[in-house]
This record gives sequence, C-alpha cells and structure tokens, in this order.
Amino acid sequence: MKMGMSKYREIARTYLKMQLAWRADVAFNMVFTVSKIIFAYLLWGMIFREREMVAGFTLYGMLSYYIVSSFLSQLDMSAGISEEISSRIRNGAFSNYMVLPVSIEGYFTAMETGVALFYLGFDFAAAAVWVFVFRIEFAVTHHFFIVMCAMIMALMGLFFMVQLNYFLGILTLKYKEISTFLMIKNNLMLLVTGGVVPLALFPEAFISVMKLLPFYYVTYLPAMLFTGGCEEEAVRGIVVLAFWCLVMQAVITVIWRRYRKKYDGVGI
Amino acid sequence: MNIIETKNLTKTYRRFIKPEGLRGSIKSLWNREYVEKTAIKDFDFTMEEGELIGLIGPNGAGKTTLTKMFTGIIAPTSGEINVLGYYPNDLRNQFKKQYAVVMGQKSQLFYELTVNDTLRLFKEIYGLEERQFQASKAYFTELFEVKDLMDVQVRTLSLGERMKMELIAALLHSPKILFLDEPTIGLDAIAAGQIRRFLSEVNRDRKTSIILTSHYMEDIKALCSRCLVLSHGSKLYDGGTGELFERYRRNKKITVTFSIRADGIELPSYVQILKKTPDKLILQVPKERAGGILSELMHYSPVDVTVEEDEIGVVVERIYREELEETQEKNHGTKEKKAISDADGGVWE
Repeated sequence: MKMGMSKYREIARTYLKMQLAWRADVAFNMVFTVSKIIFAYLLWGMIFREREMVAGFTLYGMLSYYIVSSFLSQLDMSAGISEEISSRIRNGAFSNYMVLPVSIEGYFTAMETGVALFYLGFDFAAAAVWVFVFRIEFAVTHHFFIVMCAMIMALMGLFFMVQLNYFLGILTLKYKEISTFLMIKNNLMLLVTGGVVPLALFPEAFISVMKLLPFYYVTYLPAMLFTGGCEEEAVRGIVVLAFWCLVMQAVITVIWRRYRKKYDGVGI
Repeated sequence: MNIIETKNLTKTYRRFIKPEGLRGSIKSLWNREYVEKTAIKDFDFTMEEGELIGLIGPNGAGKTTLTKMFTGIIAPTSGEINVLGYYPNDLRNQFKKQYAVVMGQKSQLFYELTVNDTLRLFKEIYGLEERQFQASKAYFTELFEVKDLMDVQVRTLSLGERMKMELIAALLHSPKILFLDEPTIGLDAIAAGQIRRFLSEVNRDRKTSIILTSHYMEDIKALCSRCLVLSHGSKLYDGGTGELFERYRRNKKITVTFSIRADGIELPSYVQILKKTPDKLILQVPKERAGGILSELMHYSPVDVTVEEDEIGVVVERIYREELEETQEKNHGTKEKKAISDADGGVWE
C-alpha cells in the first residue's frame, strides 16, 4: 500500500484534467487572457503618454506590477471552495468527501492546486505574450532573497486563502447559511488590498493595522516584492502570514471537531 | 465473526419550527423552537462477515440514517456502534479504506472525465498497487461488461451504465463491507437484473459483505437471505427474507379472459372481485384457495388466464401494519406485566 502525498497529487491532476475537458472553455480563456493584455497595454499606454511616472511607477514598472498581481489573483481560485462546501453540506453531497480516506481539507487544497495549475498555464502564456509580442521589459527585483520571499509569500497566501474559504465553508455545519460571512470576507479583501480605495489614501495608523491582517500579504505585497517595491517588508510579511496560517489551521481543527457532529447528511 | 454490532443505537434530529407568516419569521429570530425527531431508536443489530442483508422500510423509516451511521457520515445521539472494530464517526482513514458506499442518487464519478480517470484517482486515494489496481479493474470491467465504456465521458453514459461504473469505483479497493442505497433506482428491468446478478457474484466470489437499502422488493428477494424491516426508526422484523414473504404474501391475483360474457359466473364469498368487464375478471383470492378457484373457472372455457402474486407494495404495507401492531401489543403486554410485577413486588416488599 502506498501512502502519503500521491493521493493529493492525483486529486490535483484530476481537477486539472477537468479544467481541460471543455475545448471552448479553454479557447475562451485564451482569448480572455490576450484581450486583458491588450486592454491593459492600451490603458496604461494612454495614461503614460502624458507623463513619465504614475504613483512612483514607470510604464514598464506599472505593467510589471499589473502582470504579477493579476497573475497572483488569477491563481487564487479558492472562493469556489467555500461555495462548494456550503452547497454540498446543504444538499447532503458532502458525504461523498466524508467517506473517502483523505483529509477533506487536503482534498480541497489539492483541488485548488489543480485548478490553479490550469490558470498558471494561461499566466505563463500571458507573460510570454507580454515579453515576446509587446516587448515589455519586466521591471523585477534582482535580489534572489526577495524573489524567494515573494514566492514563499505568494504560496502561503494562496494556502491561507484555501484555509479561509475552507473555514467559511465548514461554518455551514453550524450556521447552514454563510453568504453573509462570504460577503464580509469579500469586502474586507477588497478594502485591505486597495480594491475599494487606494491604500495610499488611508491614514498611516489604519494601514499599520491592516498590515497585521493576512490579506495585505496575499497578492499586494508579493506583487510589490517581485517588482522591486516594499523590500523591507519581505521578512515581516512571511512571519505575519505564517502566523495567520497557523492560527487558521488551529481554528479549522477546533471548528471541524466541534461542528462535524452537526452534519446530518440530509438529502441522501 | 461480527463485523457490525450496535446496541441501543439511537439517532435524534432536531428540527427548527417556525410559526407561520412574517410575524412568525420575526419572532423566530430571538425565540426559536425546536422539535426532536427520533430517526433510529434503540437499534440492536449484528452482522456477520459475508452476509448480504436487505434494509426495507417506507420513507422516513430510518434506513438511510442507519447507513449514514454505519459509514460514519453522521454521529449517533446515543448507544453503541462498532463497525469493523471502529467507532465510525471517528472517520479514521484506516476504517474508511475498508468499506465502500454507493448512493444511487449521489455520484462519486466525475461527469466531465472518463471512468478510467476516476478509477485512477481512486487507486491513489485507496493506496492500491498498480498490479492490484489493474487486476481489480480487469475483473470488474469483465464482470460488468463495460470494457468499451472506460474511455468515454461519464456524463454520456446511460443510467444503468453509470450505476455499473459507480459499483466498479466502489469495489475497486476490495472493501470488506459495501453499503448500497437504492442501487437500482430508475433502472429498467434488464439493467436492474444485471446489477443484482453482479452484486450476488461480488458477495459470493469476493466475500464482500453487503447491506442493501432498496424500495424494490425484487432487489431484496433476489439478493438477500436476511432482511430487516424498519418503521419509524424501530426494527419490526429481522430474519429470513423467504420466511418474511411466506408469512406476508397471502393472496393471488387471477386475471381471466373469456370468449363469452362472464356475467353468469358465481363466485364464492372469499373471492374479491377487483375488476369486472363483460369478458374479463380480475380476482383476488387467498393463495391456498387459488388452485380451487382456478379449476372452477376452467369450466367456463377461458381464453387466457394469468396468476400473479400479491403486489410488492401491498406486502410491504401489510408487513409494516401487522409488525407494528404486534410490537405495540407486545409493548402493551410488557407494560401490563411490568405493572403487575411491580404491584407484586410492592406486595412482597
């Protein structure tokens, strides 16, 4: 009997295969990726026509930040996890996961990895289009240590998002309805990552508080690190994110132990 | 050797009761009322290795709840449960590797992928060696005659084909116990018959113990030498399937078509006329008198005669009604006896 990671590798591979099952889906993803590139190139090209710098970025710096951050945010497909868990708990199909000899959290992490790998392929294709078609010079940091920190942080960020969405999903065991929790999470994410109001417009104290939360380190900081910004925050970012991953894991363990007995598998 | 043992197993669900209307909705925000529903009550049961047991009962009898407790999907409210030496709801992987569950309406297959892709995933999840995997796959694809369907998308399979694939996926790791919940639901007679034959072979050749939940008595009759009848969470009957049907299948339905008008035929009082047309009679008679009435009818030169057993639904309804009455009588008797014995005890004290 073989044990260990091979089952999770196969789960990831299975979900990657599922992404590749529909040709039209793959084709439209390809078209969407290229049109996003063209749109971003035209938009930022127009903005930079009148000036050299915007918010401390050159055109190539801005495009590099855009590429990396959209690369990372596209990889985060974890929002689907909470919805999937929630709907399956409510319709009883969660039982399918409970009878498998796997860690359910591990199953969803592997599932997310499989889906992310699919989008990773598009991200690399997009990067190739940027470099070879649009001749964009990537403004990336040349510090190996910072690149490593950014990569570790990006991976930890993705893992944290899986944990968070898994946690929210299993709250369905207790609350049955979690759409309000998801809405709060989504709005918090938008706020903390600067999606609603640019982070620079917030008071310093507010930003300091937000930096204690994990969301700042999920997409924004790794993207900044890759493109040569905020390098002094690299190590602190990893420590803060690692702390949140541990906290989230502890919370998941407690919540799962406590609430799993509430599952009634109604619907089967 | 017992592979499943339960003692006083009980499962109670709590349901939220909301008073009707908007006022009720608002009131229920801070003052929530619940009622308890006992799905399984003081259930004692043992199953030996290699048995094939049928679970029958009307909707809400507790069959699925029981299966869910056996597989660890839900936790019992009280009582003892031991399946293959484990407390199921601990959800240990070592335990989960030893059973399989197939729920007719909940698929384990990936619709976008092929069966081979799903089986490959299950091979890794259950930690099977390549040789063992290939041998199991070959055995089942041959048994189920689905070799040509292994590389097509699951969503394109017919219901019967899909159920065969569900069974292959479930049996791939050679589980000790197979829990089946309505495996023939929605299948035509041929496909249902095939599934029954396969299950019988798996039980016989692979020594897989099977618990089969089904509304189709044909499944139970064809497969299970022992069956349990459940109603309202209690066990009404636990014993041989043959004996059960012998005891409760009491009537024959006789359909006779005549070449002449059947108006003048006189029938004994124990014959119940279910339907009468000028040239056709549909009768219900006690099974021990079916032969006598048939020979009577032969005097009228019928052109066609069919004899059918009691319809399954009728038998099941009878089982529930009479077993329930019997249980209630017994309980009542026990209470009365207990009251007398308590009173006696009181005197002696």
